[in-house]
Amino acid sequence: MRRAALVFALLAACPASAAEPVVFDPREVQAIQRHGPWPQPVLPDRSNRAWGNPAAIALGQKLFFDSRLSGDGTMACASCHVPARAWTDGRPRAHGREPLARNVPTVLDAGRGRWFGWDGGSDSAWSFSLRPILDARELASSPPRVAALLREDAAAACLHEAAFGAAASDEAAMVNAAKALGAFLATLASGRTAFDEFRDALAKRDAAGMARYPEAAKRGLRLFVGRGNCAVCHFGPDFTNGEFHDVGVPFFAAPGKVDGGRYDGVKRLMADPYNLLGRWNDDASGAAATKTRHLHSTQRDFGRFKTPSLRNVALTAPYMHNGSLATLADVVRHYSEIDTERIHSHGEQLLRPLGLTPGEIADLVAFLETLSAPDAMDVPALPPVVAGCRVAP
Amino acid sequence: MRDLVGAAALAAAAWIVPASAAELPIFDAHVHYSHDAVESLPPKAAAALLRQAGVKRALVSSSNDDGTQKLLAEAPDIVIPELRPYRTRADTAGWTRDPGIVAYVEERLAKYRYVAIGEFHLYGADADLPVPRRMVELARKHGLMLHAHSDADAVERLYAQWREARILWAHAGFERPEKVREMLARYPTLVADLAFRTDHASGGKPAPEWRALFIEFPDRFMVGTDTYVPERWHFVPEHARWSREWLADLPPDVAERIAWKNGEALFGAAWAGKR
Repeated sequence: MRRAALVFALLAACPASAAEPVVFDPREVQAIQRHGPWPQPVLPDRSNRAWGNPAAIALGQKLFFDSRLSGDGTMACASCHVPARAWTDGRPRAHGREPLARNVPTVLDAGRGRWFGWDGGSDSAWSFSLRPILDARELASSPPRVAALLREDAAAACLHEAAFGAAASDEAAMVNAAKALGAFLATLASGRTAFDEFRDALAKRDAAGMARYPEAAKRGLRLFVGRGNCAVCHFGPDFTNGEFHDVGVPFFAAPGKVDGGRYDGVKRLMADPYNLLGRWNDDASGAAATKTRHLHSTQRDFGRFKTPSLRNVALTAPYMHNGSLATLADVVRHYSEIDTERIHSHGEQLLRPLGLTPGEIADLVAFLETLSAPDAMDVPALPPVVAGCRVAP
Repeated sequence: MRDLVGAAALAAAAWIVPASAAELPIFDAHVHYSHDAVESLPPKAAAALLRQAGVKRALVSSSNDDGTQKLLAEAPDIVIPELRPYRTRADTAGWTRDPGIVAYVEERLAKYRYVAIGEFHLYGADADLPVPRRMVELARKHGLMLHAHSDADAVERLYAQWREARILWAHAGFERPEKVREMLARYPTLVADLAFRTDHASGGKPAPEWRALFIEFPDRFMVGTDTYVPERWHFVPEHARWSREWLADLPPDVAERIAWKNGEALFGAAWAGKR
């Protein structure tokens, strides 16, 4: 046993050269297994009575692509969350009716989120959908505008009625639209990746399956779960802890203007009439609101942003909350050469320069590139008829 | 110590002109104005931000020291300078073993006046290395306080080197209130700033164990923002607002001491003697 442990220790201590096949030791295998299995179930959102309802999902999908949802009919959710760009827009920072401060996050796998947006300023997928609808810098819409769309578009009206019944007010109709969008987002679950195939092959000791995974990706994976400490925050099947961190990225939004990140997000969330503490939460048990009820911000949240999932990360450049890093190699270099002067000495203790070689940076990028699902850009097919409503032309 | 604070506070009362009757003045005991902050927020704008926040006085240091001197020149009514023994923020990690730091500190002390040396980062046995020891000697020679971002061990080692030292314990050492109580009781000249702490107050109320400590040692605490990156300067007004919020839950005399009177008594009076 002791000899076996020594062998494992030596294997772990000796970095594999590019020519040597990577053999993971038991500790590494265990760490790799924690990133699966995939897919994972999307848990029902009890705050949304239309979650999983086919009519609501179909309505949400239609609304997502419908520019009539915006105040002047020129902008839809899909204007920024472009399916062909893995549901982002490919720009450093979002561009609504005016340039915005943050990078557009993908909405893939959003149904598995806990807090939504870079600052976690929303506590449900449906309130996350509602925020840009009302934001004057984005869709700049209003309850009457959204309610009119739900009344006047035949398919939308039919689906709305089927999913929610009659709305008592324009505001109620707008919230229903947001919940339909939330129900739709929950269906955007990304599929299996080359990494998932390798992870499962490793678990089954399937040599042929493991051999199909590129050696460079294996070397990168070893760094990811080992010396890089990446998996501490990007952990689990989602490759994120869903929490907020200061990773040394400057957070000026403009000269003299700071993006307070999570600090501002908590304030915004607590002031949001559509948060889970409000009357629009459909969960009578109160359980869904527990996380919000116990939320409070601290000054350490100033300049912290959410750890994004790394699934499909190669498809969602540029990176970081402000899109300031153009490529995955830039991101890896950022952590490799991290400017510790920007990290409070009592802040993120793990963030220390890694001093990666160019080869190691390339290996980490090779690993990250194996996290893309082939279906990441697919738009779910809408059936022609849902709940008796004619949906597709 | 309490009498000293009271007397100095009375002497300093002339500068206390609250922006409104309800606004508690703030002595911010933990402000850095380093090179990148100077670039993004020039001295005039930085001073305006402090005034807007109702910060009447601030203990300011920077890496390098030029930022402090620039802000002092712009706002001599607000800034009380301390000398940070760092030429750049990168010195945070290696200054205790770098003899060049001693030369830098000596050069600045010969050129400018200060009330303290700090904030410096010093942990455990490193406090007994030659460079920190020489820094303590210089502080003693020039009659300066020490602003130590340190664990309790290093604070004890500093006192072992200089029994009469006056130490401002940055962030109260990020220690638990029981340990802070023990240290304050043991060292009568130890005071603490509460910068970048999150555990002492929440939702506009001090945590019970901290509340007891503030009332037990009302003349030993100060508030501070810790502007360790340029962006953090823009948090100064919010920090002042947040501080006033939880201080308002304390007895008014305790709140006033922590908000500004303690800082004014310790540093304002010392600076008045050096100007």
